This record gives sequence, structure tokens and C-alpha cells, in this order.
Amino acid sequence: MNSWVRENLWRHALAISICLFSLFPLYLVVLSSLSTGGSLHLTSFVPTEISFNNFKYLFSSPKIPYLHWVQNSLVISTTVAISSVVIGAASAFAFSRLKFKGKKFGIQLLLLVQMFPAILALSAVYVIMERVYKFAPSIGLGSQTGLILVYLGGSMGVNIWLLKGFVDSIPAELDEAAKIDGASAVQTYWLIFIPLASPVLAVVCLLSFIGTFNEFILARLFLVEMNGRTVAVGLQQFIGGQYSQNWGPFAAGSILASIPIVIIFLSLQKYIVNGLTAGSVKG
Amino acid sequence: MSGFMRGNVALMGKIFILAMVTAILSLLTEHAFVQKEYAIGSFILFAIIALNFTYLTKFSIPLKFFVPGILFFIAFVIAPIIFTLSMSTYHYQTGNILGKDESTAQVLALGAEPDAAGTTFDINIGKTTSGEDAILVSDIVNNKYFISTQTSRTEVPIDALTLNADKVATGAQGFTLLSADALSKSDAYSKINYKYMGKYYIAIEGQNVGAVFQQSLSYNAADKTIRNVVTGAIYKDNGRGNWAKVGAPDEMLTPGWRAPIWFENYTKLITDPKVRTPLIKVFIWTVIFAGMSVLSTFALGLLLALALNRKLRGRRIYRSILILPYAMPSVMSILIWAGMFDTEFGAINNILHTHIAWFSDANYARGAVLLVNLWLGFPYFYLICSGSLQAIPTELQEAAAIDGANPRQIFRKITLPLLLQILSPLLIASFAFNFNNFNLIYLLTGGGPRETLDGQIAGATDILISYTYQIAFGNNTQDFGLASAISVLIFVLVASISMYGLKKSKVLETFG
Repeated sequence: MNSWVRENLWRHALAISICLFSLFPLYLVVLSSLSTGGSLHLTSFVPTEISFNNFKYLFSSPKIPYLHWVQNSLVISTTVAISSVVIGAASAFAFSRLKFKGKKFGIQLLLLVQMFPAILALSAVYVIMERVYKFAPSIGLGSQTGLILVYLGGSMGVNIWLLKGFVDSIPAELDEAAKIDGASAVQTYWLIFIPLASPVLAVVCLLSFIGTFNEFILARLFLVEMNGRTVAVGLQQFIGGQYSQNWGPFAAGSILASIPIVIIFLSLQKYIVNGLTAGSVKG
Repeated sequence: MSGFMRGNVALMGKIFILAMVTAILSLLTEHAFVQKEYAIGSFILFAIIALNFTYLTKFSIPLKFFVPGILFFIAFVIAPIIFTLSMSTYHYQTGNILGKDESTAQVLALGAEPDAAGTTFDINIGKTTSGEDAILVSDIVNNKYFISTQTSRTEVPIDALTLNADKVATGAQGFTLLSADALSKSDAYSKINYKYMGKYYIAIEGQNVGAVFQQSLSYNAADKTIRNVVTGAIYKDNGRGNWAKVGAPDEMLTPGWRAPIWFENYTKLITDPKVRTPLIKVFIWTVIFAGMSVLSTFALGLLLALALNRKLRGRRIYRSILILPYAMPSVMSILIWAGMFDTEFGAINNILHTHIAWFSDANYARGAVLLVNLWLGFPYFYLICSGSLQAIPTELQEAAAIDGANPRQIFRKITLPLLLQILSPLLIASFAFNFNNFNLIYLLTGGGPRETLDGQIAGATDILISYTYQIAFGNNTQDFGLASAISVLIFVLVASISMYGLKKSKVLETFG
């Protein structure tokens, strides 16, 4: 046994077997989406013939308004991602760079409250939005605007905290220099901070996009109408435990919905991972 | 850009946006107050004042930066938390949802009994000339006809009527029939008690039938009791949101209302075995689940990171494939796994040539949950560990190697302790995350298997948060009070775990 084998064989063996573990469900879904029938039952793990019927079904069947769902998911996630970064960045800047009374208390409150899992306040949010519906149906329970507001508000604590983590890691020398030169806080923010932080803001924006895209339970409570659902809720309701019947179209739908997210993630993995470590808990 | 920021254009833009926001919010405030939603209305009013004050004065620069964020934060994070806290001190469950006034009104409305003879009349539903809801009643036994409204009863002479062959009136002067269309649009007319005689009134039973009722329950404002005028029973507010019969406290009028019971929901968690036993069971599984998930994902992630922590052919490809489970939207992956565990057609039984009902057996279901969570979570620790391994200075390892330590010793004595030190906050954060991993449990097993026939709410794979969800939104009695109390308990637990983690990582010291 030569040294290469001794040193590297186990590494390749391990990596390959775990890769197979990673790929297995994904391979299965791709296979199912390309099979002719809609059944979950697979006769063989090697494709015998390829058909796009399941994909066609997605875009033509009235039972599953897939395009509407995708559009809803994109609109909701994009709005939430951009708005939360715009609002959150300003707050994070204030908490990180400006001096004011009650700052320490504010940060501690923020830290404590963002640990309150959003799902636990679910019934409270539900009741509040039900009341809002009574006087303003367009932003209350059942509306996408209402859902966006809830997402935006609900993620504010986490987002400010996350952004503050990033902002702290940007060297303060530049904006201190700007201050010495007589720049106001607002000028420092727009002219020094925003250009410096824009890559970081973009990453937080994408994280927020992915998080919203993945959110399930609020969307399910809020969006009752078939055409108003998000992809996650729509597909979950569509499959409705009936895995054997609706599997093919479900597989196709979940692949199409996942591809953009996977691409975003893979292309930005370096930044996202840094963000996850720095933001969730500063090491 | 700086000129633009300082210039009049910017100022006008600012005022324009502020005016728009103020206009929209003012409209909302007005609507809220009209609908008697005072709390929400006052908050929006507060928001208007806060926004205008902040952006039109030079009171505080930092405020300009975080006012929108703080307003959102208060509305959708702080308010629901306070609401949850207050709900946890209420008897607030199916049957006790309404406010006291509303529920008492319903109790009284339901407290009606038909008269002794069970009299019914043929009626027509319509309006009087003054537009009041009314019915035209034909008492064919006594050959009497009258128009009743909520407050008055007017006899109608025969010659002012249109009668059909059965001597039932189909129309009368000064009475307009409601069209079928109008009848189907609103049911307000059916909720009115139309005047008959004395304490008796006529209620609409069917499309053309009215029956005579008498009010059996009456509210006595003087001693705040409800009296049943027929049986003579007296009902008192039992302090827990129901009118209960004096002398027989278990006989209660429905519906009840949400009533403050202070810490009863919390003491119930400790003293009531029907609540405590499942809660402890669920809590133990939650800790095991979160602990095992962190351990398994960390172990596999670390192993991979160690294996690939050197120049290796195909390392980039491995890496890309290994993080795929993490890159997938987790909702989709969980639903896919749920399909793979299907008993009849699922891929797992298919490969193993078994016929296991994965989600019907407690142990199989738990195993499946842990396996899926391993799949979802190991890439995270793989990524984190590979990063951290490179951050550990190689000098230490080299020095140990020179001193004659073998690779295993180096790993156990040097690499692992250092790594754990760097990663302990992340391990704790991951524990806290899995402690509340609602989506996984809800979408994969739904918390099951559970014996629903026995009225069991806690399933074998239910973690605290999915159990709470079941209590609040499940198919059985929906108990918002108890669910809120458990929510508060979970919050305290998670916050303590996280605070401990943060203390260790010394983040708290950097405040200020």
C-alpha cells in the first residue's frame, strides 16, 4: 500500500459516500419530474425515457396555478428583502456608529427580543391582523400586503442585529475621518457608509430573500386564496399528504422553485457563510 | 451627490414623502377609530407624530435613522409579545374567545324558550313604509293578521290584505315584501325578535314560518346575575369567564368570555398531570432532538472538513455537491423527504425492500426526523469547520508533531479543543435553532404519530414549539391561554441558552 492510498483513499471514500447521501433525494426528484407518470413509485433508478409532461402540467393545469405562486413568492420575497435592508441598515448604522442615550438598553432589548421565536407570537399576530382587517381589509389578514408588513416587522429585530454585526466589522476610521472633516451623520451615512457597506447589504438582502421564500406557516395562515399563495404553501397544499398521486408535478414544481435559490446560494456561498458566522453570533 | 442631498430638491422630496405617509396613516387611524379599534388606532397616531416630529425637527439625529425600524419593531415584534404575555394570564380557549359583553349578549339571545303550546305562524318578511324590518303574520286559527316590528305590533284589517286560498296573507297595504335576492343578501332580519304579546315574541324559524318564543334568561344589572325566568335558576359570574349556576357550578351557560385568571395557566403546567405529563415528555424529546441534531451535524461536518482539509483532486466538486442540501430551500427538501418516507411507494422502502410505516411508529418517526435533519444541517457545519480549521495556527500542530505526537493525538489534544472554543457560540446557536425547528417537524411528520382517538395532543415527534402550535391551532379545543403560557416558557428557556452562549463568546462585553 503506497502512501497516496494510505493518505487519500479514505478521504475520497468518505467524500464520495456523503456526496451520494447529499445527492440522493435531489437525484430522485429530478428523476421523478422527468418520468412519464405522476407516480411516486419508481420502477428503476436509471431513467428509461424522459418526458416533460410534469413540467407542462405545471403551466397548463387549472388545478395548480404555478405561475401565480412563483410570481407571489418573488414579489413578496423581493419586497421584504429590499425594504428590510433599507430600513434595517439605517437602524443598524445608528446602533453601531452613533452615540445616544439608551443605546445600550436598546441593543440589549433587541438582542433579547430577537430570541423570541416568531412562531410563538403567531396567535397574537393573527388576532392583531384580524382586527386590522376589520378597518383596512387591504392590509389585514388574507392580503399579501399584510403578510409583507408582518414579515418586515417580524424580521426587523433579527435584521437590525445581523446588520449591526456586519457594520461593526467595517472599520470605523473612514467615517471618523469624515466626521473630523465636518460631515454630518446623514452625509457620513450616504457618502461613506452606504458605498462601503453595499456588498454586505446585498448579502443580507439575499439572506432575507431566501428566508422569506422559505417561510411557510405565516404564509399559510395568511394566504387562503388559491391564486394568492406562495410556492411553498401552494406546493405543500397541492401535495396535501397525497404523495402517491401528485408526486410528478410536485417534483417538477419544487425543482423549478429551487433552482434560482440554489444558484444564488452557490455563487455567493463565501459571503453568505461569513455572514452566518458573523451575524448570528459574533465570534 | 452631496449637493443633491443638501439641496432644496431633497428637502421637497422629504416633505413630499412625509406628507404622503402621513396622509395614508391618518386615513388608517380614522378607519381604526370608527371601527372602535382604539389600541391599533392610537398606535398609528403615535407613529404619525413620531415620524413628523423626527423628520421636521432637529431634535435627535440618531432618531432619524431608526424611527421607521423601531416603529415596525414595536408593531410586529413587541406588541405581539406583550399580547402573548397577557393572553397567557387569561382563560382564553374555544368557548371562551369573546369579550364579556359580547358573550353575555349571546347567552341572553340563546336563552329563549318556545311558548307552552309551541305556537307557529305563517309569515312574510318585508319592510314597513318607514323602512323598518317587519313581518306580516297570519294567525289563521284566530283569523287575525298583524304586522310586527321589533318594537310595535299593528293589527291589519282584512280589507287591507291580499289573501291566498289558505287564508294566508301574501301582502298588505303599507308592507313591502323583501325580494328573494334581498333575502339572500343579508340575514339581519332573521336576528330580530318581532313583537308579539307581553314577554312573548316571534322569531323567524324558516322562510315563511315564525314561532313564538319567550325570553327565558334575563340580566339583572343590580346584583349582576342572570336569572332564568322559567325555572328560577340564578347564574353568577364564576370569575373564570362563564355564567355558572348558583349551587351547581358545573352547569354553565355558553358561550363564555375570555377572563383573567392570572397565573393559573402557569400553575397548570406544574400541577395538572394532564398538562404536565405530555409537556415533560415533549420537553425531553425536544432536548434530545436538538442535542442529537447538533451532535450529528457537527460530527459529520467536522469529519468532512478534516477529510477535505488538504489539496485533493476534485475537492471543489465535492464541496459544491456537499453544500447542495444547504442551498436548497428547506421547505422543498423537507417535503421531498416526506415523500421518500411514504410507506407504499416511497424510495426508502423501495431500496431497502421493506414495508415500514415510517411515520406510524414512534421510534422510526424519530429516526427519520433525525436523519432528515442531519441531511439538512451537516453542510452548515462542514462550511464553518473548514473555515475554522484554516484559522487555527499551524505552528501548534507542527510543534506537537515535532514533540512526537501522532495525528490522532494532535487532533484530540490540540485541534478539537481549539475548534470547540471557536465554535461553541455557533453550537449553542444551532441548538437554540433546532429547539424551535418548527418547519421540519410540522412538514415531515406533523408531530405524529399521536393517538388522536384518546384526545392526545402531543405526538411522538412533537417538539415544544409544534406542540404549542397544536394546542393553539389544532383540531381539538384551541387553548390560546395555555399555548401562550408555554410560549413564554420556551422563550425563557431559549433566551437563557442563548444568553449563556453570548456570555461565553463575550459579545455582551462589547456593548456601548
